[in-house]
Amino acid sequence: MASSLAKPFRRGTSPRVALLPAGGFYALVFALPVVALLVLSFWTANGFKLIPGFTLDNYVKILTSPLYRALMLRTIGVAFATTAIVVPVAFALAYCMRFVFERRGQMILQIILLSLFSGYLVRIYAWRTILGKQGLLNSTLQWLGLIDQPLEFLIYSNTAVVITLSGLLLPLAVLPLYSAMLNVPRDFLEAARDLGAGKAYCLRTVLVPMVMPGLRTAFAFAFLLSAGDFVTPSLVGGTQSLLIGNVIADQFRGIGSNWPLGAAMAFVVVAVMLCSFLAVVALIGRATRW
Amino acid sequence: MDDRIRAILDTKLNAAVSRRSFLQGAAGMATVTMLGGTLPAGAQDAPKLGGELNFLGWDGEHGANVAKPFLEANNIKMNASFQSAADEALTRFNTGGRGAMDLLTPNKDFQLAILKANVELFQPLDLSRIPTAAGLWPAFKDAPWLVRDGKTYGIPMIWGDEPCVYNPKKWDAMPERYTDFADEKYKGQLVLLDDPFGNIWLWATSLGMPEPSRLTAAQLQQVVDAMLKVKPNVVTIGASHGDMADVLVRGDASIGIGGWAYQVMIAKEKGVELTVGSPSVDGTFYWSDAYAIAVDAPNIDNAYAFIDFMTKPESNAALATELASGCTVEAAYPLMDEAIRGMFPYDNVRKPGGGILGTQIVVPPQEPDGDIVGAPAWVEAWQTFKVS
Repeated sequence: MASSLAKPFRRGTSPRVALLPAGGFYALVFALPVVALLVLSFWTANGFKLIPGFTLDNYVKILTSPLYRALMLRTIGVAFATTAIVVPVAFALAYCMRFVFERRGQMILQIILLSLFSGYLVRIYAWRTILGKQGLLNSTLQWLGLIDQPLEFLIYSNTAVVITLSGLLLPLAVLPLYSAMLNVPRDFLEAARDLGAGKAYCLRTVLVPMVMPGLRTAFAFAFLLSAGDFVTPSLVGGTQSLLIGNVIADQFRGIGSNWPLGAAMAFVVVAVMLCSFLAVVALIGRATRW
Repeated sequence: MDDRIRAILDTKLNAAVSRRSFLQGAAGMATVTMLGGTLPAGAQDAPKLGGELNFLGWDGEHGANVAKPFLEANNIKMNASFQSAADEALTRFNTGGRGAMDLLTPNKDFQLAILKANVELFQPLDLSRIPTAAGLWPAFKDAPWLVRDGKTYGIPMIWGDEPCVYNPKKWDAMPERYTDFADEKYKGQLVLLDDPFGNIWLWATSLGMPEPSRLTAAQLQQVVDAMLKVKPNVVTIGASHGDMADVLVRGDASIGIGGWAYQVMIAKEKGVELTVGSPSVDGTFYWSDAYAIAVDAPNIDNAYAFIDFMTKPESNAALATELASGCTVEAAYPLMDEAIRGMFPYDNVRKPGGGILGTQIVVPPQEPDGDIVGAPAWVEAWQTFKVS
């Protein structure tokens, strides 16, 4: 018994066999639905009925429609703006937790995790309360005499969407970065400084390359989740805040819906977002090479 | 005691008791005692209530307060979830929900579209299991959105219109037409509902189109152009009626277009005064929601008993009051407060065939019909409006 605990696999057991349960689960709950959605994207819809077949019409419509092109660009813009706030802030927070307040790092982590305990919708409505015309922020600024009229761009705007998404995604981005920084010995940074590296050079050529996996994950959380979100734009966005996720959701709602078109949109979004993600990660990799 | 009599007594004793049903029950008991072993065969199959009841519909229509005594008396646990769009039930049904859904609350246009398209979602109702349905207003007994091939697919529980809901401290009245909302004085004051069909229909009506639910591509473009003139005045597009009410209550907008009188009640609870009114020339459209049972409903006995209970005059009056809507049961009308029943023109429902609710169609055809565009074109037009 003791030896079986010490050795998780019998000699000769392939690690691939050990991966079967997780792989099977992944295939069932992710790969299979994705393949089904891919097949669906080549079908057509007639009223409430789906018509099997193979046509590229849905993809042609998405790639040639000015409506969907405008939405895609807006979505990428909002996702990049959110990521540009979330990743640096999360990086700074993780850095402080690891190297500045090292003894309090775990406690700060628990506090950050605590914010995830409240529901997603509750947090969005909380942001609405903060950013609203008569919300906490505007009321405070008016009380302090800094403004006469409420700042209307704070709510029902793309600004509101970016602020809210940043607030929602920050805890998720901190986790991989903090985890990656825990693997960076303080000695490495001190050695670099001793050898004459400035703070910025040390950050760029030592710390960032060493935490690159965590940085990639944080970037993925912030960028991909904000690009796919459709609830936040619905609740705090204004009349110019519709994102591609909202239009995809519309394609799966009964009357007037078009599931095959929605499926094709989902794949186009995945492709565009994946390309954007890989391009940015490659850029960061190049910028931190030495 | 005879098992059949015990079954009937169980049912009677576990049912919610109103004054009227108690009298009926007492009379029935005497009959049972007299008939003894000669009960009809149907009585042997008296449904056994209890267990679960899955509800997917509009918030409030599950009757959390009204149905509570019924649910408790029959040991029924209601699993309620709420839809944000009329067609969400169909999406859920087609994505694994079949066999796990009991009660639905479709609105009339959605139900009509489903029945016309012969799509599987609602099952025909056995009206002998809903005796209280005999008390519906004439308009709701044979309305075209409820009946297909002589079979009834829904029992209406409330009805009403989609008026403008506004802050009376800011506005004395609504303008004559929806297109008037393009005036600059409404800048930063409007909130719309995220409903392609309702909005396009209202603006098509405002533009004087003869059949606002049957538009050509050119007419649809004309409607979108008219709506775009109003868009600079729109603060946001509410995801649901509740969300729209929240925007109005917070004071982020002062007029909700395509609202619901229920929003006035929500606001009142939060200490905010709102009132209803529609453009005097354009008016608005009417809706009605019905209880329907999903195909392959797993708790069908509970579903029938629930509908029967909710269609009693007392229950219907209480639900209509709670949701600030029109009652669908004739005997419920005198039980309601004048302040609420006075909000709706009941002459419409005293006529058979659905009255104005039966003739006024808001949702376009599912597929193009000659020059007339289908519902997907309306959805795309609405998206264009939202993106522009």
